[in-house]
Amino acid sequence: MATLSLTGMLHRSLVHRRARSVSALVAMTVSAGVATALLTLYADLDTKLHKEFRSFGANIVITAHANASLPTDAVARVQQAAGADALAAEFAYAVATTDKGTPIVVAGTDFAAVKRLDSWWQVDAWPDAAVMDSALLGQRAAQFVGNERAIVLTYAGRAITVSGVGRIRTGGDEDSRIYMPLVAFTAWTGVGPSVIELQVPGGVKRVEATMAKLQQELPEVQVQPVRQLVEGESKIVDRTHALMYGAVLLIALTVAVSVLATLSASVLERRRDFALMKALGGSQRTLMGMFLLEALVLALSGVAAGFVVGSAAAWAISEGNFHTATLPHLSVLPMVLLLNVAIASIAALLPLRVLRGLQPAALLKGE
Amino acid sequence: MNEAKVQTGPLGGSLSEQTTRPDCAVIALSHVTREYSGHAGVVRALADASFSIVAGEWVAITGPSGSGKSTLVNLIGCLDRPTAGELKIDNVDVASMSATELDRFRADKIGFIFQQFHLIPYLSAVENVMLAQYFHSMTDEAEARAALDKVGLGSRISHLPSELSGGEQQRVCIARALINHPPILLADEPTGNLDAANQTIVAELLQDLHRNGHTIVMVTHDPEMAGLAQRKIALSHGKVFCHPVGGPMVTLRR
Repeated sequence: MATLSLTGMLHRSLVHRRARSVSALVAMTVSAGVATALLTLYADLDTKLHKEFRSFGANIVITAHANASLPTDAVARVQQAAGADALAAEFAYAVATTDKGTPIVVAGTDFAAVKRLDSWWQVDAWPDAAVMDSALLGQRAAQFVGNERAIVLTYAGRAITVSGVGRIRTGGDEDSRIYMPLVAFTAWTGVGPSVIELQVPGGVKRVEATMAKLQQELPEVQVQPVRQLVEGESKIVDRTHALMYGAVLLIALTVAVSVLATLSASVLERRRDFALMKALGGSQRTLMGMFLLEALVLALSGVAAGFVVGSAAAWAISEGNFHTATLPHLSVLPMVLLLNVAIASIAALLPLRVLRGLQPAALLKGE
Repeated sequence: MNEAKVQTGPLGGSLSEQTTRPDCAVIALSHVTREYSGHAGVVRALADASFSIVAGEWVAITGPSGSGKSTLVNLIGCLDRPTAGELKIDNVDVASMSATELDRFRADKIGFIFQQFHLIPYLSAVENVMLAQYFHSMTDEAEARAALDKVGLGSRISHLPSELSGGEQQRVCIARALINHPPILLADEPTGNLDAANQTIVAELLQDLHRNGHTIVMVTHDPEMAGLAQRKIALSHGKVFCHPVGGPMVTLRR
């Protein structure tokens, strides 16, 4: 035998007032969708921003004290202290003379390490790290050599011939240098590495912790941050977090106003129905419960739809801006749920007050 | 309280005796006053009303607009409480009840018939009847179908209110009012929105209900409908100025 259930009445009521229900559902979906998208991006934000900043190169520079070289095992100790996921490349510098008689800075380094560390460098062809006479010519440095394929460099009376296999353009000092394999450089000049550039993944806290550890384990060297990069990363991450919080709050407020208007209209247009239910013996608590259940159903439906839409939006934003896909994060679901239920509850306060003040006698009389 | 001509009432004895014997009354007002506070000060909508209605009686409440009819109906219907005085429904003083107790009491004791029917638009005829069961106790579709059958709507149970005529909607409203077997039927202009044919149908239904022992309190402007009642309670400016026992039951002429 059929019964008249609360859920049945709720379903019929929502279907009967399709336009109003859809309007409220859309508002709740927008709220949940935006919250899902922003929170999903937020969850991956640190990783993605650190990845972006990683492409800018080193964030710590380790140097030897004046007129000294770094210990021979320095790079290995740095790597050990900084962790396996850190990237390190050592550099040795000398001022040599080109075959045109122009002084030029020549740097010895490990091309394989530099390629990973300074991925932002624009290099048309990287030299083979195993070929000892290969060299990388800075864009400006190339103007001061005769034959790029056979560059004669002289340092302290000792000449070496290297072959420029590629050009480097950074817009910085690198453009005025000639880079060659560290082993060949040291054999030619007798100068060992004086600088290690280190890139530590993670945020400012890890950078600072790594610096402290390096300072402790390598007291004979100077450890300094690449300040612009570390501080810039910190500011951008903080501002992006603040922006996301602000956006979620603003959108939540906008949606709350929209849902408030919809729910208020929903009560006002059905005040005679509610008045009738009151006249038939429905208690204040029952009627308020019915109304809250309706708001809750809309909020939960909005969460379900919004989570799908928001996850898709987060994926698209991530793909477009960071070139990596962001998968749906189930971990954001409780927060989205909480937000939508809070919005529905706040938006229901005024309509509940209207409901509480209904005078069945006057309404049913048509006054 | 005005005394009137003696007429035999449904419980035996004279109506004049019954109206003065509170123990026989299903509705008893004693010096009931209802005041409302508004911007213009305190408005006395009903002043010092005292009368009784016995079980099985059909009473018409008449009076011009603003005379206090709605206030009186709200009080008898337990939708409102008096500011002063004693109001007993089925020998229970409702003036001292809490809002929750009043909701429960209303569901048990009062069946409402409204001028504008007030059916829930998205529920079928039978579901509208079951709605009164829902707020009273438990729904029983068979009983709701039987109630609709009694008012001649056995074949219209699945129709939505929008698919029913005004007369049919009012009959659904009557079935809903009867479904919980309340001792009092409170009809507020029950034929006010109906054409002549449907007025006759509804009036005959009310007559049947009265013959079967239902107590009917009916607000009406229609003298012919008022003539169907055994007694009229006339209101003017918030005062009950007469409640004579009516003449013999009249036959509705349309």
